[in-house]
Amino acid sequence: MSNTGLVLKDVYRIFPGNVTAVSDVNLEISNGEYIVFLGPSGCGKTTTLRMIGGHDDPSSGTITIDGELLNGVNPAKRPITTVFQHYALFPHKSVLQNVEFGLKMQGVDKTAREEQAKAAIDLVGLSAMMDRKPRELSGGQQQRVALARVLVTRPKAILLDEPLGGLDRLLQMKMRVELRALQRELGITFIHVTHNQEEALSMADRIVVMGDAIVQQVGTPEHLARHPRNEFVAKFMGDNNVLHGKISAASGGVVTIDTPYGKVEADGTGTVGEEGAISVRASVVKISTDAVPSINGVKVRLDFAEYLGDSVKLHMDLDGKPFMAKVHEDRYAEIRAYEGKDVTATWAREDGHLLEQ
Amino acid sequence: MVISLSSNGDHHALDEARAEVAEAESLGSPEVALAVHATSGPARSPLATLAWIAPGSIWLILFLIAPLLMIVLVSLWQRTPVGFEPFSFTFEAYTRIFDTPVYLNTLRDTIIRAIIVTGLCILIGYPIAFFLARCVKTIKFQIALFIVVLAPFWVAYVVRIIAWLPVLGRQGVINYFLVDVINVVDEPISALFYSTFAITLALVQLYVLFMVTPIFFQLATLDNAAIEAARDLGANPGKVFREVIFPLSLPGVLIGCIFVFVLVMGEFATVRIIGGGTIQSVGTLVNDYYTIPDLPAAAAAATILVAVMTVGVAILLRFSKIREVV
Repeated sequence: MSNTGLVLKDVYRIFPGNVTAVSDVNLEISNGEYIVFLGPSGCGKTTTLRMIGGHDDPSSGTITIDGELLNGVNPAKRPITTVFQHYALFPHKSVLQNVEFGLKMQGVDKTAREEQAKAAIDLVGLSAMMDRKPRELSGGQQQRVALARVLVTRPKAILLDEPLGGLDRLLQMKMRVELRALQRELGITFIHVTHNQEEALSMADRIVVMGDAIVQQVGTPEHLARHPRNEFVAKFMGDNNVLHGKISAASGGVVTIDTPYGKVEADGTGTVGEEGAISVRASVVKISTDAVPSINGVKVRLDFAEYLGDSVKLHMDLDGKPFMAKVHEDRYAEIRAYEGKDVTATWAREDGHLLEQ
Repeated sequence: MVISLSSNGDHHALDEARAEVAEAESLGSPEVALAVHATSGPARSPLATLAWIAPGSIWLILFLIAPLLMIVLVSLWQRTPVGFEPFSFTFEAYTRIFDTPVYLNTLRDTIIRAIIVTGLCILIGYPIAFFLARCVKTIKFQIALFIVVLAPFWVAYVVRIIAWLPVLGRQGVINYFLVDVINVVDEPISALFYSTFAITLALVQLYVLFMVTPIFFQLATLDNAAIEAARDLGANPGKVFREVIFPLSLPGVLIGCIFVFVLVMGEFATVRIIGGGTIQSVGTLVNDYYTIPDLPAAAAAATILVAVMTVGVAILLRFSKIREVV
């Protein structure tokens, strides 16, 4: 048996009525990777997860794990288990009974399965609550029971559908770290679905951004944050400013675009006369009261400075369109004085990023 | 054997993360938030509280507690040829009804009948409810079929009982078939109608809906995610039913049992009409005492019946631990 990991090849899912839920998905996920599927609701990420888990079948294309074809294989027969949204624990069973369920279904005898279930419960740190019912546990504890319940069957991959969706924000942030630490310790592939960019950036080895039923971009959190491939990713990841215009020059690996707000330059190639767009991250934008430069600078009105603790997010108005910048927290007092006034936003050429059309 | 989930790296990072989660939960747990909310709500004056609980309490006192107390009181009063002598306390009515074995035997038969009918209602009602809730796919069709199941209830109670006469009676369909069509018996069997069998049959038909309805609603609102999770973990359809669906439907079964048990215990008309005077229930006995007239004995018989029903319901609730399931 090979160790090629989970491979999705030319996967399509077309629902009755000719609704394309997932289109042309090609992914290779190595064993032990933490992958996050990120996208707005209805983008096909949950359908993709369900196809990997066996709760839905691709209309065409193949899904394999370590070379083994999974198409048409019953969910129970796959070396992949799902942690459902809201955990789907059995309310009438104790923590121990919940966790040993998978082994019981495999026909493992009582002593062996209890021993293994206890080890899994221990792994998620709930040994003291073995005999409690799910409703006697907090949200974070239920989450861990759901994890132990799938871990005990020793899957090759675990699928998590919005695993932190039901938790309050503070707990969400802590559970991110715990989930990640657990995954590193076990070395099992985790595939996690979320619509929360921050969650994806903080947890993933690689993020798969989905939108309009297709994979928009795959990459490390850092790569996605710095180099969104297209406008969809740039906008969905948030904190990116997108400027459109016509390409007026393209030579020496530099493209110049004429936007309604002035000329902008970015590294890349293009054809003169065609539509072009660049994306500029909020955190690379510099704010000053200097004159607007002829290139890579725009005049904006500062509407509101939002204090975020470690940084200040500036909500600005670029001729009726929103424009964002992020500056260091210690400039808050200084910047606030400019609320309601015009300021100049500039960025270096290498910080502008040419988007694919 | 210890679980062989391969563990690379030390436990340190995980332990630290876990400690932080525990801390976060103690800070922002919903229970804490709820408790704060509950105690910080606007204070309500005692008078307002009284006004809120008054309508329900008055209803209960007028239509449940007062009549029950009245029955208990009458059962303790002296019998007179036309009724009773108020406030002449005595246990004579109780000694009278326990003088002969009739009452105890009838009570025993009534309990046994209630248990058998309840059991049969589960056996017949559960599959109907299961089919409606889990096999019928669209809600529209589900509701339509549920209304069809309810249809017998549009017909008056006594009419539904009497409707058995053309089926089970001496000149009924079954006797006609047995005597005139296949000639296995010479004489029509009258025991078909005036029998324990006929009463049981009629009672099941009358009350099976009280079993179907709560089970149907319990099954229809089951958490599908739990069922999907069970399948994902390797449960086949039979095991999904035994391990997840059935245990989660028990509250519905229990409510159905309470309905059917209590209704059959108090049965009067069905036993009178279909039993034809040969078969008694506590209900018909109460009626007999009433017509003699021996009102204190009737009240005593009813008091004991209520006490036994209460014990029966308490046993049902106790054994099922209803609050632990959902």
